[in-house]
Amino acid sequence: MKNRILIVDDSFYMRTMLKNMLTDAGYDVVGEAANGQQARDLASETKPDLITLDVILPDNTGLEVLKDIRQELPDVKIVMCSAVGQEVIVNEALESGASAYIVKPFSEDKVLEIVGGALQDSGASA
Amino acid sequence: MKSREQEYRELFMAEALEAYDAMSQHMSVLEKRPGDEGALNEVFRLLHNLKANARAMGHDAIGEVAHRMETIFGQIRSKERPFAGSMVPVLFSGIDVLGGMIRAVGANLPLTENVPLVENLDRVIEGEEPVLVDDESGTEEDATRKLELSDLVYIPIKKLDHLLNLVGELIIDRDRVLTLAQEIGDTTLQSVTAHLSRLADDLQYSVMDARLVGVGTLFNKFPRVVRDVATAEQKQVELTISGQDIQIDRNILQIITDSLLHLVRNAIGHGIETPQERLKAGKPEVGQLTLSAQTDRDNVLIRISDDGRGVDAERVRRKAVERGLLSREAAARLNEAEVHNLLFEAGFSTAEQVTEISGRGVGLDVVKLAIDSLGGQLRVDSRLGQGTTFTLVLPTSIAVKGALLFELDGHPYALPLMHTDSVVSLRPEKLHVVGGTLLAKVLAENIPVVRLADLLADNDDALPPANRAALLGPQDIIITNYNGRKLGLIVDRFLRQQDIVIKPVSQPLDMIDLFGGVTLLGSGQVCLVLDVPAITRLFLSRRP
Repeated sequence: MKNRILIVDDSFYMRTMLKNMLTDAGYDVVGEAANGQQARDLASETKPDLITLDVILPDNTGLEVLKDIRQELPDVKIVMCSAVGQEVIVNEALESGASAYIVKPFSEDKVLEIVGGALQDSGASA
Repeated sequence: MKSREQEYRELFMAEALEAYDAMSQHMSVLEKRPGDEGALNEVFRLLHNLKANARAMGHDAIGEVAHRMETIFGQIRSKERPFAGSMVPVLFSGIDVLGGMIRAVGANLPLTENVPLVENLDRVIEGEEPVLVDDESGTEEDATRKLELSDLVYIPIKKLDHLLNLVGELIIDRDRVLTLAQEIGDTTLQSVTAHLSRLADDLQYSVMDARLVGVGTLFNKFPRVVRDVATAEQKQVELTISGQDIQIDRNILQIITDSLLHLVRNAIGHGIETPQERLKAGKPEVGQLTLSAQTDRDNVLIRISDDGRGVDAERVRRKAVERGLLSREAAARLNEAEVHNLLFEAGFSTAEQVTEISGRGVGLDVVKLAIDSLGGQLRVDSRLGQGTTFTLVLPTSIAVKGALLFELDGHPYALPLMHTDSVVSLRPEKLHVVGGTLLAKVLAENIPVVRLADLLADNDDALPPANRAALLGPQDIIITNYNGRKLGLIVDRFLRQQDIVIKPVSQPLDMIDLFGGVTLLGSGQVCLVLDVPAITRLFLSRRP
């Protein structure tokens, strides 16, 4: 069965790129969220296997969303996405239960490697 | 593969341009309120996205600038340092440079790194003083800037006024041509004129639409006014604004600007009590003032509402008698609404002490005149101890007004619908004569009625006592309403309801203020437009 992935990013451009990469690699992208509230709603609705989560979101920090979703879905794998510069937040995210993180800009190989690794519960990071 | 790249490119450009516009707006907010958290968070988030997206697209020059700006905004956001001092011009020029680079990407131009800016950003990050130079050095940036034209055009309002006048003339001619085509009866001509008519309609609405602005452009100036007036009056006032997006003709907004200012000053100066008085009256210390706009069919309603002391009807009655506006007996007979309308009478002002701001010697009568000149209405609604609401009923556009056409002595006349309550057809036995004046009972209300022909007769004397026997058959009566005063006008015949373009009356006629203007009908006939306020005043001065 295909692994199901939810994409959370406030940039439509980023979401589109991630979706294309993941779909091409055979994953099932079950939803896209542009802010924290949508992320929470879609996460509980679709119960994905993995969530890619942008650290900086308009209505909330990605960190709060991470903690909320963690609580509701303890088994979901969460991969943080961030451009360099916000390492402090990324570190905190890893401590709060994120499986791995991807640094933007990302290459297709890197994304697939990290997502694949996280799904095998290897706790990989970039 | 090629098409996916194209898609990414388009998405990147769309988001980047949007981000640039949003950042520019947030920057101007920060210029006024450097601590505005919403604006700081948004600029930070947008820079973060722009950086990531630009790098993904390979536009590293954008990424470099955005990354450094993000770092600085991160410091400001976490309150390590304020948005102030020499960093501000650097951040502004950073936004400008980003805008220039984004546009360059859109125009397929190569990006070059802006070294002086990047160095300055680094200095700001390290807490050093940036090196500020005059804008002369940015020649490269200027070169790209010439490539884009704004989608917005600023037009002097005079040009739009001229356009509106021309459209007015065109509408009049259109009505003539339509009538002529009807008379000639040629079907080809009729279909051409029908098309012409639709085009003229479209043109008229387009021009009217081009003149519309959001009420917010005026409303948004009031938080400042309220703060200043409240401070000067030592009142505590919270202002709530709503309906900023309601659209209205720019010139109408211009004309009511002073009125609105006056009403708001009044509300704070005379309406809302001091904090001590409010506490004593069992009200919260902070007074509430509301400025709102809404549409009501073709009109725009603007309300100024306060929760202050309200209008003291007894005091108004007393004042009106003191100022000789009416007798003690007449004053005692007035109902609440009629008392409120006294506030708008010339020379009436309840302000007992002239305060620094609200007392400018301008009474509500001046406000009333301004609204009248627009063909609008001013209403007041007040409850003692609870507050007062002023409502301005304004036309959306000045060009075209709905009017009721009627005939008198073989000539057509028009009455603006804004001042028309209803039309009735009554048999003479339904009318009563009281004290020489005809009265009609319409919807349980006794309304004075007069033959318009008598009223318009060239004569300053009192009207002859009404003679019911002279009225033969059903009488067509238009009930007008000015400032809550109703008056029935007997006319020869109702014609129809029609949108008309009102033109100012020219020379000898403008001596007679009974006519608010003139319009040309499709038949080519000149039609005078009656001014209801003037007619009402004339009736009051000549009633037997």
